[in-house]
Amino acid sequence: MSELTSHSPGRSALQGVREAIPLLGGYIPVALSFGLVATQAGFSTWEATAISALVYAGASQFLFVGMIATGAPLWLVVAMTLLINVRHVVYGPNLAALLPRSRHWPWLMHGLTDQVFALALTRLPQLPEAKRFSWFLGASLLAWGAWIIGTTVGATAGETLTARWPLLGEIMPFALPALFMTMVAPRFTNKRWAVAMGCTILAALCLTLVGWSNVAIPLAAACGALCFYTVKFETRRRTS
Amino acid sequence: MSTALWLAVVVSALGTLLMRVVPFLWMQRRLNSDTGLNNMPQWLSILGPLMIAAVLGVSIVPVNPSAVSWTATVIGLSVTLLVWSRVRSLGWPVAAGVAVFGVVEVAALIW
Repeated sequence: MSELTSHSPGRSALQGVREAIPLLGGYIPVALSFGLVATQAGFSTWEATAISALVYAGASQFLFVGMIATGAPLWLVVAMTLLINVRHVVYGPNLAALLPRSRHWPWLMHGLTDQVFALALTRLPQLPEAKRFSWFLGASLLAWGAWIIGTTVGATAGETLTARWPLLGEIMPFALPALFMTMVAPRFTNKRWAVAMGCTILAALCLTLVGWSNVAIPLAAACGALCFYTVKFETRRRTS
Repeated sequence: MSTALWLAVVVSALGTLLMRVVPFLWMQRRLNSDTGLNNMPQWLSILGPLMIAAVLGVSIVPVNPSAVSWTATVIGLSVTLLVWSRVRSLGWPVAAGVAVFGVVEVAALIW
């Protein structure tokens, strides 16, 4: 009980902020690039920032400004943007049992990106229930804020920054694979999970290398799920 | 930006938000309700960790793929795993991995 009362919302939110800091290594360089690309495509700093604040989905934002720049019809731009973001449909249900009920979710779920989902799915089960809402608030607001500020900076000074520190844009994004590696590593103690995870990682890597990064996440996860069920079937046959 | 373009931004934003929030609320209302589910469907609980693995696979590809950046990635991930196996937390393994990745990239540039 005393442990529960010591969980102040502010402290839990700060814990979320602290634990989401590694995400910034990936967010800031990509947001800077988006700001730069958007201004080069003819959008103003304010417009690029508004797109980042409202849509808040990296890959689809690049596609959005790219298609607008090439003069694609608006209905197609919207359709393609939404199609890329369809993968988000499975994120919410996975977190539903881990988060308490709140009237704030309709706007807070705006912060449910690939990276925030991965972090939340890993950390929420390890946290006491009383801390989870504030933790999610802190983590998702930090990521959203960094994405917006990164876009604004990229739109105003992206060219200067990338010219002055070209290596920074290569080194900082490594925080993302490093972070995700620490998230999937605990599953590798189980053989069945290890095979499914390995298959998923390899499939996503290959799909990205051949230029299918937009569909790599759902397709690779589907491959992994197939592998997960197949391995179970083969194990049963051997033991019988 | 024209009004039509703003409308496209708003529709894209609203559609993305609905894809994030509606399945979440739907599942939260179904879980532990009288007519709904007692537990999360198994396929969904399997898909969650696999999505993280897929995000890892996508993010492994270096910003500028080359022999040096791939070598730095392999070494950086190995160090991340090594530190993780010692401390079993998120922060230090990531910091160590990024530092080693950076050192390899800078060292390759100097030599």
